[in-house]
Amino acid sequence: MTLSHSPAAQIGIQTSSPLAVIVGIYLLFAGHNNPGGGFAAGLVFGAVIALRTVAGLQRPAYARELTTIGLLIVATVAIAPLLWGDPLLDQQVISAQFPILGKVKSGSALVFDLGVTAIVIGLVVAVLDGLGASELGTPELGSAGPNAPDLDPTSPGGATTTTTTPTTSDPAQARRGE
Amino acid sequence: MRWALLTASVAPATTALWAGIVLIGGVEPSVPALTWVEGLDLEFRFTIDALALLMTVLVSGIGALVFVYAVGYFGPGANDGGRFAASLLAFSTSMLGLVWADSVWTLFIFWELTSVTSFLLVGHKNTSPSVQMAARRALMITGGGGLALLAGLLVLADAAGTTVISNLSPVAGTAGTVAAVLVLIGAATKSAQVPFHVWLPGAMAAPTPVSAYLHSATMVKAGVLLVAVTGPAFADVVAFKTLGLAFGITSMFWGGIGALRHRDAKLILAWGTVSQLGLLITLLAVGSGKAILAAVSILLAHALFKAALFLVVGEIDMRTGTRNIDELGGLSRSMPVAFGVAVAAGLSMAGVPPLLGFTAKEAAIEAVLKLSGFEQVVVGIGVIGGSVLTVAYTLRFLLGVFGPGPATQVGPARLSMTAPAVILATAGVVGFWTLGLVNDLVRPAAIELNAKAEVYELVRWPGMTTAFIISAAIVVVGGVLGTAVTRRPPTVPAPIGAEGADSILDGTLGMAKRLTARIQHGSLPVYVATMTATASLAALPFFTDLNLDHLVWWNHPLQAVLALAIVASAVGGAFVGSRLGAALTLGAVGTGVSALFVVHGAPDLALTQLLVETVIVVGFVIGLGPLARRFPSVAGPWKAARLAVSVFAGVAVTLALAAAGSNPSGRAPVADLATSAVADGGGNNIANVILTDMRAVDTLGEVVVLATVAIGILALANTNPSKASE
Repeated sequence: MTLSHSPAAQIGIQTSSPLAVIVGIYLLFAGHNNPGGGFAAGLVFGAVIALRTVAGLQRPAYARELTTIGLLIVATVAIAPLLWGDPLLDQQVISAQFPILGKVKSGSALVFDLGVTAIVIGLVVAVLDGLGASELGTPELGSAGPNAPDLDPTSPGGATTTTTTPTTSDPAQARRGE
Repeated sequence: MRWALLTASVAPATTALWAGIVLIGGVEPSVPALTWVEGLDLEFRFTIDALALLMTVLVSGIGALVFVYAVGYFGPGANDGGRFAASLLAFSTSMLGLVWADSVWTLFIFWELTSVTSFLLVGHKNTSPSVQMAARRALMITGGGGLALLAGLLVLADAAGTTVISNLSPVAGTAGTVAAVLVLIGAATKSAQVPFHVWLPGAMAAPTPVSAYLHSATMVKAGVLLVAVTGPAFADVVAFKTLGLAFGITSMFWGGIGALRHRDAKLILAWGTVSQLGLLITLLAVGSGKAILAAVSILLAHALFKAALFLVVGEIDMRTGTRNIDELGGLSRSMPVAFGVAVAAGLSMAGVPPLLGFTAKEAAIEAVLKLSGFEQVVVGIGVIGGSVLTVAYTLRFLLGVFGPGPATQVGPARLSMTAPAVILATAGVVGFWTLGLVNDLVRPAAIELNAKAEVYELVRWPGMTTAFIISAAIVVVGGVLGTAVTRRPPTVPAPIGAEGADSILDGTLGMAKRLTARIQHGSLPVYVATMTATASLAALPFFTDLNLDHLVWWNHPLQAVLALAIVASAVGGAFVGSRLGAALTLGAVGTGVSALFVVHGAPDLALTQLLVETVIVVGFVIGLGPLARRFPSVAGPWKAARLAVSVFAGVAVTLALAAAGSNPSGRAPVADLATSAVADGGGNNIANVILTDMRAVDTLGEVVVLATVAIGILALANTNPSKASE
């Protein structure tokens, strides 16, 4: 299935994407003292990815990697305090003086939030993949995609499913086929 | 192959040696326990007492011999000895756990483990369909019995107020009856009591070392042991004695008759085991001091002679290539050692002096003579009738295999097969002449089960007592019967009951398949309706807490306006015909809710809600792509059902939330949270400090759920339907 994408939407989303990413990063750091946090930041990034998918723009497709990294981060932050005899998930707060930013106070909660963000993005990308986002003909970063040139469309067997019929292709499949 | 088996035999041999030394040196019961879940009384608890040690000597001692025997049985050519040794060792460990268990839960776990390992061992020759069926049948019956046992132990532990077996107090009343019946059913399935015995003859498809070990000496004794250790708790329960006697006496007769019908020497022994186990259950159900002593003695004697006989049959099978008593004959000359073992063990089984079996049977008959009234008549007929049949099938076995007939071709002997059988049979002879030692083994175990057993002991030579005269009469009558049956041209016996068990098994599997097809029908709308209705039903109990006096309708007029907008969007969503339109109305509802959060002063919540709504709406746009633009039309009862579920869910959720909101308890925790958020969490955003610090463990759990969902979706997306159908 091929969709004709509205140029206006494409340009709008293309221009606003960097802004949205900055908003997401702000939310991640602001979370401790102002509205925001890891979950909200992840959703902003997720929304950007979802909108780019709809508009037919490039988007990252690293669901598995993001989820894995996120899980590793939260697990590390959770378990690390045990090594020093502190309770599970005990927070370490550090503050430092920086030239322009002034006094910056942060803690291991920020790292924890980073892991949450990664998992949320991973989930959104996974859902998009599961819903068949690749059927929209979206070019994907980090994935061979439906129209990957390195796959031989005439080859028999499973690999052909990623190339011949878009309805049965999905990015994870394509990655495995590489 | 050889080394795998010999290495595996070291563990049971060491255990048996240790148990023997402890047993002779005098038992100090030790109670190791490992708490598993506190508060639920879930613990691994073991007691090493006299009965446990006696069983340990049997389980590990015979286990070590069986490993040695298996070296010869499988021969140098076999290549799956490692698997066999591992399964057998796993079984041996499970069995030890079972005999040591002192908590009903520990007992149950090891009970099930013996069922599973037995399944693996019966199905050792896993390529044959008949072997697979036999293994499955054994697993189904013993596993089903395990479920009955679990229920019985639950009731028993509840009624007795403890899960520790040695502390079980006598139970009574309905709970006692229910527990007794369920526990007895569990025991009857494991100990192959009629009508649950059908798995045992089938299990003879197992390699002979397995049959000798599991199906004569150890696993089938688990049921007997269960009846023994729970017997004191059920002492006042009439049903325990009645049902126990019914199981035991029926099995004694039906097992004996089965042993007379079959021509396969191994099946004769298997049916004989059913009969002997019936005798044990009968004596334990009687429960008097003398009967318990007799039961423990027979337990010991039976393990020795039946394992020896199985080992002999296995050797004959190996060296002649057949187990059919029609084809066998004249082996007394060609296999003199096996003949000697079979006679010694067989006569012990028949209860002929000077062998341990005789002493044990004398004790049983004396126990019967001590009873009175109707009980004496019933138990007497059972024990005496069963013993007559035992003598008869023993004679038939000995004459059929070793007696006159066309001399069968015999292969070379293997020492590793002969030696274990000789040791077991010799133990039966030595046991009779060193009766003092046997008394030291048996009496403490019997006293543990019934203190009244203390005044009794096994007697080597009773003199011309009533019991001895009865014993002699049993041998004479049984001998006559046995000779008569041996000469009769044998007919092919119909395997009564086995087909029934198999059809139950097939039926169970078929029903499971149909039930799964019915529940997992694959219709998403029905799944959603089912889940929604169930969740709404769960909200029902809270309706009564609704308190209109405490209910705050709104804090700000804007909330009422927003609420109206939300309701309008929701109603609109129900009537929109296009899929995308419905998705957008849902988005409107969500956005309205996030506006409500803003009005209420919860910016964090509002932000998250708004973002979630955005992503979901975009997701809908992508997901709806391949579908038709409009909903399919729904009519008739299905439409009515969907309407009913939706309305019900809406009402239930509204009322439950109103009920929760109208019951404020205590002071709102905001002030405390605000203080601790800054002090402990180092942040001013309470919501986020809660998420990442105060209740970070909750967040950890939630993100793990999110990651699991993501992985699940990826896995689902990877299952390519077109590929699966290829």
